[in-house]
Amino acid sequence: MSSNVLADQAPAFTERSVDLEDRDIRRARRQSQVIRLGSIAALIAVFAYFSAVAPGFANLGNIANVIEQSAVLALLAFGMSIVVLGGGGDVIRGGIDLSLGANLGLCVAVFAVASNAGFSDWLAVAITFGTGAAVGLLNAIAVVGLGVLPLLATLAVMNICAGAELVLTQNTVISTNSPLLGSIVGLSWLGLSVTDWVLVAATVVLIVLVQGTRWGLRLQAVGGQRQAARAAGLRVQAYLAGTYVAAGLLAALAAILQAARLSGSSPGSGDILLSVVLTSLMSTVFSRRLLPTIGGTLLSVLFIGSLINGFQLLNVSSYWVNGVQGVLILFVVAVRSLSTRRGGA
Amino acid sequence: MAQPALALRDLVKTFGATRALDNANLVVERGAIHGLIGQNGAGKSTIIKILGGLYKADSGSVTIDGQTLTHVSPRAIEHLGIHIIHQEALLVPSFTVAEALFLGAEPGIGPLLSRRTMRKRAEDIIGSYFDMMLPRDALIGELSAAHRQIVQITRALLNRPAVLVFDEPTASLVRREAHRLFGLIRRLRDEGTSIVYISHYLEEVQDLCDKVTVLRNGRDVATLDPRDTPLQDIVSLMINREIGDMFPKSAVPIGKPALSVQGLTRRGHFTNVDFTLHAGEILGLTGLVGSGAKEVLAAIFGLAPADQGSITTHGKQGAVGSPAGAIRRGLGLVPEDRRGQGIALDMSVRENTTLASLGKLTRFGFISRRREAETVRQLIARLGIKTPGPDARVRDLSGGNQQKVVLAKWLSAASDIYLLDEPTVAIDVAAKVEIYRLLGDLAQRGAAVLILSSDLLELQGICDRILVLHRGRITHRLRPADTTPEEILAAATGAAGLGESIAA
Repeated sequence: MSSNVLADQAPAFTERSVDLEDRDIRRARRQSQVIRLGSIAALIAVFAYFSAVAPGFANLGNIANVIEQSAVLALLAFGMSIVVLGGGGDVIRGGIDLSLGANLGLCVAVFAVASNAGFSDWLAVAITFGTGAAVGLLNAIAVVGLGVLPLLATLAVMNICAGAELVLTQNTVISTNSPLLGSIVGLSWLGLSVTDWVLVAATVVLIVLVQGTRWGLRLQAVGGQRQAARAAGLRVQAYLAGTYVAAGLLAALAAILQAARLSGSSPGSGDILLSVVLTSLMSTVFSRRLLPTIGGTLLSVLFIGSLINGFQLLNVSSYWVNGVQGVLILFVVAVRSLSTRRGGA
Repeated sequence: MAQPALALRDLVKTFGATRALDNANLVVERGAIHGLIGQNGAGKSTIIKILGGLYKADSGSVTIDGQTLTHVSPRAIEHLGIHIIHQEALLVPSFTVAEALFLGAEPGIGPLLSRRTMRKRAEDIIGSYFDMMLPRDALIGELSAAHRQIVQITRALLNRPAVLVFDEPTASLVRREAHRLFGLIRRLRDEGTSIVYISHYLEEVQDLCDKVTVLRNGRDVATLDPRDTPLQDIVSLMINREIGDMFPKSAVPIGKPALSVQGLTRRGHFTNVDFTLHAGEILGLTGLVGSGAKEVLAAIFGLAPADQGSITTHGKQGAVGSPAGAIRRGLGLVPEDRRGQGIALDMSVRENTTLASLGKLTRFGFISRRREAETVRQLIARLGIKTPGPDARVRDLSGGNQQKVVLAKWLSAASDIYLLDEPTVAIDVAAKVEIYRLLGDLAQRGAAVLILSSDLLELQGICDRILVLHRGRITHRLRPADTTPEEILAAATGAAGLGESIAA
C-alpha cells in the first residue's frame, strides 16, 4: 500500500457526503413548497366553503366590507411584519412588537381628545403620528439601547400605552367628529372608500419598500444573520430602531382609520393584538424564504377577515373566532419549527 | 526592501490564565501566498480574529501597507484592502446568491434595487472566477457548504482586495473543488494579490504556499520556504515540547475486551471504524477537526448513532441508540465542552456527582440522603476534588476540579468504560497531571478508557495504543513506544503514508 491509497479514498468519502447534502437540500426545498401550496389551498378552500354555504359571502359588496373591516388589522400587521423581518424570526429572541395593539388604542384616544380639545384636524393628525412614533422610539430604546428582549420590552411598553390610554379616557367612550373623519367615512372613488385606498396605498408603498429597495434587503440581512450584516458594514442598530418606529407610525395611521370607523375612541382596542401576531406569523408560510412579507401579511389578514365575516353570516358566535385564531397560531408556529428543524443545515 | 503587504508584530493576547498569543509575528510579502500553520490551539484563529477586529490584542501592532492601525475594526481593515474569508460562512441564509454577493453595495437606481442587473452580474462574476454556475435563484440556506464558500470568496473578490485571508478554506470542500480553489488562489497571486492561507493540511500548504509561518504555543517559531523544507521538519516545528515528564502511567495488565467496535460508519463523518478496547487499557484516539474522531465518540455513546456497524460491550452486542442505553451498558462520557454538556454549573458538587446514579441511591422513589452523602464524600476524597464542601456550586470550582466532578459522576454510576473528549483542554498543568493519575488509577481498577485528544504528548504519555483518524478512516494504529509525536501529527495531517504501522 502506498500513500496514494489514502489520497484516492479520501475524496470518494467526502464526495458521497456532498451528494447526500444535495439530496437534503432538495427535500427541504420541496417541503417548503408543499407548505406554501398547502397554505394557499387552505385559503381557497375556506373561501370556497363560505361562498357555497354563507348567503351573500361572495358578493362584491360583502367583499368590500371585509376589506374595509380588515384595514386597521392589516396596517398593524404590516408593522409587526417589518419588526419581525428586522429582528429575526426566532419566537423568543427575535423581533416582535406586542405594544402595537395598545399603541393603536392610545393613538385613537389621543386623536379623539386632541380633536375635542379644538385642535384642527391636521394638528390632531400630527400629534397622533407623534404619539405613535414616540411609542416606537420607546420600544427602540428599550430593545436596541438597553438590550432588553423585544418580547419583554414591548410587553412593558404595551402596559405603559394601555395605562396612558386609561388616564386619557378614564376608560370611557370618547365620541368625536371632525371634517377629516367625516370624509374618511363618506368619500369614495371607483367604488372604494378612503379606508380601502389608504390600505391599497400602504400595501403598495410597503411592498416596494420591503421587497424592492436597498433598505428592505438590508433589513432582511439584519434579521437573517446579524453577523453578516455587520460584516457588510451595515448599521444594524439603526435598522432595528427604525423598524420599531415604523411600526409605531403604522399604528398611528391605523388609529386615524379606527377613529373614523368608531367615530371616536372606545376602550378595548388592545384586543386586536392576537390577530396582529397571528397574521404576521401566518404571512411567513406564503414566502419561499419563510419570512414575513407584506403581500403575505395582507393575504393572511384577508383570510382572517373572511373567516370572521363568514362566521357572522352563518350566525356562528364571534367568540369562536378567538379559539380559531389560537389554533391557527399553534399550527403556523408548529409548521415553521418543523420545517426549520428539518432544513436547519 | 519592499514594504510588506501586511505585518502583525509582537501580538500578545491572554484569555484568563491562558496565553493564546505570546509575541506572535506574521509578515506577509506583497504578491505571495503565505501559509500559517500550527496545531489546534497554537493561536492561528486568535491571530485572525485580532486582524479581523473581532478580538483586541493586549499589545502588539497591526501594520497594513506601511500604515499602523491604532484601532482595528472590520471596516478599518476593509478600507485598507484586507478581506478575511472566515471558516463559518457569514452569509444570510434567506438571501439568493446575487443578494448575498452584493449586500451593502447593491446595484440599483436610487434606493430601488435592480434585481435583474444584480442576478446577471452575479452570474458573470462567479462564472469568470470559478468557471461554473450556481443553481439559479437558490437561497444560500439551500446551497451546499462548498457552494456557500464560493459565494463567500466571490463576495470578497468584488472589492478587489490587496490581501485576502483564507481561514481553513478546504475544510468543507471535496478534492475537485479544493483544486479549483487552489487554481484561483494562484491566479489571484499572479494578478498581484497577497494571500494568507491558514490550514492544517500540510500537503496543501506545501503545494500552494510560497512562505509558511509555523505557530506553536502562541509564538511564531519559524518562517520558511515550504518547498525547500521537508515535511518532517515542518511537523517537528509544530510540536510542543515544553511539558516535561508528567505521565505517571503504570503498567496494568490488559484484560478482556470491554468495548469492541466493528465496521462503524456514519455517512459523511466516518467510515468502517474498527477497534477493540480492553479492560485496563487506555486507548488514544486522535485526528484533526473534521476527521470524524469526535463523531466516533458521539456514536459510541449514542448521541449521534452510526448508520452501520456494531458496538459490543462486555461481549454483548447491540445498538446504542441513546445516552441512556449507553449508561446502562456501563459507558460514561466526559465531553469536551464540560461547562455546556458535562456538568450543571449551578448545581452543587453533590447533585452533579449523583446525577447519573440516582437510581442506585433511591428507595421507594425518594433519594436516600444518607447514602448519597456517603458516596459523594468518598468520591471527593478519592479524586482529590478541591471544593469548600459537597454543597458548593460547581461554577465556583477551577476547571480541573470541574473535570474531576464529571469523572466522579461516572464513578458513582459504576461505569467501567470511559470515553473522554479532550479531557485536559483549558486546565492547568498540575490539574492535568492529576487527571492523568486518575485515568491510570481507573485502568488499574479494571476500567477501559478511550481518550480523544489532540495533545500528542499526552497521548504518547498515557496511552497503550493510539488510533489516528484521517478524513473519516482509521489510517494508523500506533504504539507509543514505537512512535513520535511527529509521526502521529504527520499521520493526522495526511503527510504520512498508509501502511507500516497498521500492524499494531
